Amino acid sequence: MSDPIGLALAIPALPLAAALLAWLAAGNKALKNYAHLPLVAACATAAVLAFLLLNTVLDGSAPNYVSKPVTWFAAGHLKVNFTITVDALSTVMLGMITFIATMIAVFSGGYMKGDKGFPRFFAVMSLFVFSMCGLVLANNFLLLVAFWEGVGLCSYLLVGYYYEKPSAADAARKAFLVTRLGDTGFLLGIFMLWKLGGWNTDLTALFEHIAQHPPGEGQLTLACLLLFCGAVGKSAQFPLYVWLPDAMEGPTPVSALIHAATMVTAGVYLLARCAPLFAKAPAAQITVAWIGGITALLAAFIALAQTDLKRILAYSTVSQLGFMFMALGTSGAIDPTFAVAAAMFHLFTHAFFKALLFLAAGSVMHAMGNVIDVRRFSGLRKVMPVTHLTFLCGAAALAGFPLLSGFWSKDLVLESLTEASESPSKYSAGYFALFLVACTTAFLTAFYTFRAYFLTFWGPEKVPEEAGHHAHESPSSMTMPLLVLAVGAVFVGGTLEPFTHWFSDFLSSTPSLDAARKAAEAAPLAHHLNWTLVGVSTALALAGIGAAFALYRNGGAEKAPLGLDPVFALSRDKLYVDELYHAVLVKPAEVLAFLARVFDGFLDALSRLVAAVPRFLGAWVRPIQTGLVQFYALSMALGLAVFLSFVVFRITR
Amino acid sequence: MTDPLLQQTLKGVFRLAAPEIALVGTACVVFLFGCLYNRRWLWFVVSLLGVVLAGVLAGTIKTQMPPIPSAAPLIPDAAAQFVRWVALVGAFVLVFVSWAEVDRTNAAEYYACLLTAAAGVSLVGRANDLITLFLALELLSIPTYILLYLPARTKLNQEAAAKYFLLSVMSSAVMLFGFSYLYGLTGSVNLTVIADALTKAHAEALNPMALVAAVMVIAAMAFRVTAVPFHFYAPDVYEGAPAGVVAQLAFFPKVAGFVALARVFGLLGADGRHLPFDTNTQVPLLLWIIAVMTMCLGNVLALLQDNVRRMLAYSSVAHGGYMLMGVVVASSLPDAKAPPDVGGIDAVLVYLVAYGMMTVGSFAVILFLSTPERPVESIDDLAGLSQSHPISAGAMAVFMFSLIGLPLTAGFAGKLLLFVGAIDAPTDSPAMRDLYRWLAVFAAVNAAVGAYYYLRVVGVMFLRTPIRPPVRSRAVPTFLAAVALAGGTLFFGVYPEPIARAARKAAPVPSAPAKATTDAR
Repeated sequence: MSDPIGLALAIPALPLAAALLAWLAAGNKALKNYAHLPLVAACATAAVLAFLLLNTVLDGSAPNYVSKPVTWFAAGHLKVNFTITVDALSTVMLGMITFIATMIAVFSGGYMKGDKGFPRFFAVMSLFVFSMCGLVLANNFLLLVAFWEGVGLCSYLLVGYYYEKPSAADAARKAFLVTRLGDTGFLLGIFMLWKLGGWNTDLTALFEHIAQHPPGEGQLTLACLLLFCGAVGKSAQFPLYVWLPDAMEGPTPVSALIHAATMVTAGVYLLARCAPLFAKAPAAQITVAWIGGITALLAAFIALAQTDLKRILAYSTVSQLGFMFMALGTSGAIDPTFAVAAAMFHLFTHAFFKALLFLAAGSVMHAMGNVIDVRRFSGLRKVMPVTHLTFLCGAAALAGFPLLSGFWSKDLVLESLTEASESPSKYSAGYFALFLVACTTAFLTAFYTFRAYFLTFWGPEKVPEEAGHHAHESPSSMTMPLLVLAVGAVFVGGTLEPFTHWFSDFLSSTPSLDAARKAAEAAPLAHHLNWTLVGVSTALALAGIGAAFALYRNGGAEKAPLGLDPVFALSRDKLYVDELYHAVLVKPAEVLAFLARVFDGFLDALSRLVAAVPRFLGAWVRPIQTGLVQFYALSMALGLAVFLSFVVFRITR
Repeated sequence: MTDPLLQQTLKGVFRLAAPEIALVGTACVVFLFGCLYNRRWLWFVVSLLGVVLAGVLAGTIKTQMPPIPSAAPLIPDAAAQFVRWVALVGAFVLVFVSWAEVDRTNAAEYYACLLTAAAGVSLVGRANDLITLFLALELLSIPTYILLYLPARTKLNQEAAAKYFLLSVMSSAVMLFGFSYLYGLTGSVNLTVIADALTKAHAEALNPMALVAAVMVIAAMAFRVTAVPFHFYAPDVYEGAPAGVVAQLAFFPKVAGFVALARVFGLLGADGRHLPFDTNTQVPLLLWIIAVMTMCLGNVLALLQDNVRRMLAYSSVAHGGYMLMGVVVASSLPDAKAPPDVGGIDAVLVYLVAYGMMTVGSFAVILFLSTPERPVESIDDLAGLSQSHPISAGAMAVFMFSLIGLPLTAGFAGKLLLFVGAIDAPTDSPAMRDLYRWLAVFAAVNAAVGAYYYLRVVGVMFLRTPIRPPVRSRAVPTFLAAVALAGGTLFFGVYPEPIARAARKAAPVPSAPAKATTDAR
C-alpha cells in the first residue's frame, strides 16, 4: 500500500462507490434506512488512506508524486492529458476533507433519520465527497473545472434538498446562478492561461511554461483576476457572497460539510495551488487582499444583529474566508510559502471549529423541532449539556480565545499582514490598513459569536412549542462527532503550528509553492511568535467576549449597545445589500428582459423564416423521391454521366 | 510459379483469412442443419460461438506482411485489423439485435447470412486486388438480398427487397466496369501495383481513362455509402425492410464502401503522400461536391419526415456526407506543408465506429419496441416512451444526442476529428484552394440543422404523454444490445482515445510532408 498514486485514486473511488450503493439502496425498502452506512464506511476508509498518504509524503523521499498521464484526447499537437498530483497541499486537503466528512456522515445518520429522501441525501453527499477529493487531486485545469462544477452541482442538489419548500428551491437556484457568475470569469481565466501557458492544460507544465516565458504583467494580472472571479463565486466573497447565507436552507449537515468546511474553501485552495502565478502579479494580490478584507468586515458586521443561528454562522463563514483571502493576498509582498501556509492553516482549523459549530447548531435545531431563531429559545445549558459544551469549544475557537485553534491560525493571518505592511512592497500602506480591518473583524467576530452562544445557552430556560415536551439532548450518533470535533477545535491549532511549525514546514515542501517563492523573490520569513500580536489578539478576543457577556447573558436578542441602535438596525437588514442588488441588478434585468422579449419576438419571426428555408427546399426536392425503381436507376445513371462529364470537362479545360 | 517467395505469398493467404473462413464455415454448418433443427436459441448460440471462434482466431494467429505485396491478394496491415474487429464486434452485436425479429422458421438462414455478410466486410478490409475486393463486396451484398427477403411478410417488405436487389446489382455492374478499366490501364489486378502505376503516370500527365475508372468506382461505392444521387433506395428500403436487417444495412455497407474507396484510391496505402488521384486530377473536387450534396440533401429531407425510419434513413445519408469529408481531406495529404493533426481516413474510421454504435443502437431500440400488432413507424409512436420504457428512452436519447454530436458522446469525438481535419487541410493547392474550410462550414451548418430533427425525437419521448404505449417486449437480447451500444456511445464519448489511437494506427498520418521532402531534394 505504499504506491501513493494508487492510494490517491482509491480515496475518491470509495465515496463514488458509496454513491452507487446509496442510489441502489433507494430502490429497496429494507435497505433504505441503511443508506448512510456506505458513506460512513467509505469516508472512514478514505480518511485512513489519506492519513497513510500524508505519511508517505511526510517521509520526504519525494516532494510530490504525479500520476502517469492518461491521454483523454489526442489529435496531433492538440493533446489533453489528465494527471493527478499528490503533494503536501493536496494531502492536507484530502485528510481534512475525509476526516470532517466522516464525522458529518456519522452525524447525519442520526440527524436525517426518518426523512423520506434518506438514500437520495446520502447518494448526493457521497458524490460530493467524490467530487471534492477529485478537485483537490486534479493536476489539470479541465479536470479541475469538471470537479469544480461537480461540487457546484451537488451543492445545488443539497441546498434544494427540501425542494417542496419554495425558499429552499429559490436558495438553490440563487446559489447556482451566483456561483455561475464567478465561474464565467474562471473559465475565461483558464482560456487565457491556456493561451499564455503554451496551450498546456497540465498545471505543472503550465506554471513552468509561464516561468520560462513570462507574459506581460498586465496580461498575467488579468488572468489571475479572472481566476479569482471563480474563487469569489465559490468561496462567497464580496460582492458574490449573497448566496451563502441563503444556502442555509439545506439540511444542517450539508451546511457543515459543504458550506463551511469544504466546498467554500475550494476558492482558497485554487489560489494556493496557483500561487506561482499570483506571486508574479502584485496588483492582483492586493486586489485579492482587499476583497478579502472588505468581505471579512462586511460579513462580520452583518452577523452582529442576525437572529437566525445558522445565518450567524454562515456570515461568520463568509467573514473567515475573507481572512484567508487576506492572508493569500500578501503572498507577493512576503514569502509566498508563509502567506499560503497562513491561509491554509486558517482553512484547516476553521474546518474543524466551523463544522463543529454547524453540527452543534444542527443538534439544537433537532431538539427544538426545527426552530433556529435565537429569539425563540434560550437557556439550553441544562437541557443539552453535551451540545452546550461542544458549542462553547467551537465558539471560543472561532472567537480567537487564547490557546485554542482559531487563536493560533488567526494570529498567523495577522502576522502575515503586519509583515506585508513592513515589506518593501509598494502596497505596504494598504496592507497596514488591512491589518486594522482584520483586527476590527476579530473583535466583531468574538462579539457576535458569543452573542449567539449566550442567547442560545444562557438566560431563562425557554423552549419553543414545536419542540414538544421532550426537548432533550440529541442521540449519541450525533453527540459523538461533536465531541471528536470539539477536541480538534481545541487542540489541533496548538499542536500543529505555534511552537513546532510542523504544518507550515510540511506545506512549504509543495513544489508549486517552492516555485512561487522563487518567482516572488521575497526574503524567507522566519517563524517566530510575535508577542505584541499575541497580546493584541488576546485583548480583542476577550473584549469581544466580555461585551457580549455584558449585553446578552440574560437573553434579549434585539438589544443593542447604548446609542448604537441605528447601526444594529443596519446590520439586521444586512446593509440592504440584497435590496440593493435587487434594485440595481434584478430590476434593470427585468426591464431588459422585457425589451429582450420584444426583440426575441422579432428574432423568432426571423428565425422561423430562416428555418422555413430548409423545409421549403426539402418540400421542393421531395417529389424526386417517387418510389419508382426505374427512376432511381435512371438518376444513378444520370449522376454517373454528369460526374464523368464534370471530370472530363475540368481536366480538358 | 517457381519463385519460393511468390509461393509463400500465395500459400499464406489462408492463414490471413482464417477468421473469415471460420465465419463462413459456421454459416455453412448453420445452413446445412437449419433444415433439420428449427430452434431459434440453438442457432443464436451457434452463431455467437462462430463469431467468438473467429475472434479467437483473429486474436491468436500471428500474421506477417506477405513477402511480395504486389502479388498478395490479401494483406494484413493495421487497417485490415481495424476493419476485421469492427466487423466481428458488429456481427456479435447484430446477432443480439436481430433476436427480436427472427423466428423458428428462418432463424438458421437469418444468422448464417449475417455471419457471411460480416465475413465479407472483414475481407473488404484486407483485399489487395480487384478480384478479391469484388468478391468480398459481393459476399456482403448477396446475403443482404436474402436477409431482406427472409422475413418479408408484406408487400412493402418485398418491394424494398426488390428495389435494393436491382439497384445494388446495377451498382456492382458499374463497379466492374471501372475495375476493368483499371486492369486495362495497368495490366494488373493488384491494388498496390495499380496505385503505384497510376501515381507515376499522373506525375507526368493526367490519364483520362484512369479518371473515368475513378468516377465509376466512386459511383459504385457511393451506392454503398448512400451518397447523393445514389441514395434513392435508402429511404424506401429502410422504411420497408425489417428493422434488424436495416440496422445491418445501415452499417456494414458503409464500412465496406468507405474502406474499399480508400483502398482503391491508395488512401490506405503505405504512404499517404503519393496518391494516384491527388487534387490535380479533380477527383477530390468531385468527392467534395458529392459530400456537400449528400449532407445537405440528407439533412433537408430528414427534416420533413414523420416516419422515424425514413428520418433515420436520411440521417444515415447525411452522415455518409460527413464521412466523405474525411476522404476529401485525405486527398489533400500530398499538398500538406506540415504534418497535419488528422489525416482524414483515421477520422473516417473513428466516425464509422461511432456511427455504427448510434445507428445500430437506434434501430435496436425501434426493433425492441415494435411488435406485429403495434409497429413503431411514425415518430409519434415513441411518444411518452420515458414513462413506459425509461431505459429504452434513455438509450434512444443517448443515440440521438450522439447523432447530433453533443460532447461526451462518441458522435462528438468523430465529428471533432473530421472538422479538425478539414480546418487543418492546406489552403493553397490550385484545385481546391480554401474549399476544405468551406466543407467544414457546410458540415457545421448541416449539423446544426440536424439537431432539430433528432431533438424532436427526444422531445416526443420525454415531454409528451403516451398515446398508445408499446406493449412489453420480451426480446431481451435486443434490449441488451441497445443498452450496451448506449454504454459504448457514452464510454467512447468520455474516453475516445482507444478508438482514436487504433484508427491512427490503421491510417497513419505521414510524419513528414511531401512538399518538404521534394524541396529537400
